Amino acid sequence: MSAHILVVDDSGFARRTLRQILESAGHTIDEAKDGSDALERYYLKKPDLVLLDMVMEGMGGMEVLNKVRELDPAAKVVLATADIQSSTRAEAQTAGASGFVTKPFEREQVLSVVSTVLTGGLSWN
Amino acid sequence: MELTSAHQDTLTELINIGYGRAAAALSELTGRRIILEVPKVAVHPISEVSATLSRVMMGEVASVHQVFSGPVSGNALLLLDHEAAVLLNSLLLDQPIIDDRLDSSGREAITEVGNIVLNACLGVFGNLLQVQVSFSVPRLRLESVSGVLHSISVRDRELQYALMVHTRFHLRDSDVSGYMVIILGITSFSRLLAELEKWENREAPK
Repeated sequence: MSAHILVVDDSGFARRTLRQILESAGHTIDEAKDGSDALERYYLKKPDLVLLDMVMEGMGGMEVLNKVRELDPAAKVVLATADIQSSTRAEAQTAGASGFVTKPFEREQVLSVVSTVLTGGLSWN
Repeated sequence: MELTSAHQDTLTELINIGYGRAAAALSELTGRRIILEVPKVAVHPISEVSATLSRVMMGEVASVHQVFSGPVSGNALLLLDHEAAVLLNSLLLDQPIIDDRLDSSGREAITEVGNIVLNACLGVFGNLLQVQVSFSVPRLRLESVSGVLHSISVRDRELQYALMVHTRFHLRDSDVSGYMVIILGITSFSRLLAELEKWENREAPK
């Protein structure tokens, strides 16, 4: 199942890595480098899924998640982070994210989580 | 202010686990085996931290600095000499080295590496000690170690003494080597010791 995915990360390196992984699986990618850009693109293009970095300058990932869900309560948002703490994962789950991927990105993990979330599931392992 | 041998022992164990996780992350990024040296753990007056690190990392270094906060707070640094940063960038992007400068995409790549490596280490601390640690946006600087550390001590006036944990790592079959450094002020250091004791009691009840 190919989808339109919005990748939000202030690191160009991270955005390129995710683009490579996701495009290789047939998905179409849009990029945003900060929270404001992400909200604008979400509003205009309504992607099928958002892959969202947690720690960004200015508007952080959790704030973006909340605002996206205000725009669209059915939004599918997967949080991406280098933070491996279980408490962070729990916080993201409570905030309404649909899944979680950790950095450094592993191709199989990213595609598996994206696939699960696109088909309506949640992915927290 | 001194660490007891018991504290030293538990802290070294925690650091080994944390740095091990960080090394695993760096290995995944580069596809190379990471060799870690035994971490050095000591309390220094803040004025000595710069001198200690400047002896092992001279000249301009690429430093990724991340502030962490929570019950235990402080500064974490990934330090690479300039040549190592350029070489690491070429490994990450799988590109040959064209010149000895880090362009903007190279700087982004090194910043992200620092973010991942430092989060891996500190995240392990958070999980094991059962404290939540929050992280600032990582910042890359290209300047001397003393310059980097001066900005840390200016920002954090509490810093009179620092617990400094540093370990040298290098990528097998390459000339990339660097240091991971964690600096805590004394209030956080005391809190860390308290959490270490709790961890120790959970893992190996007396």
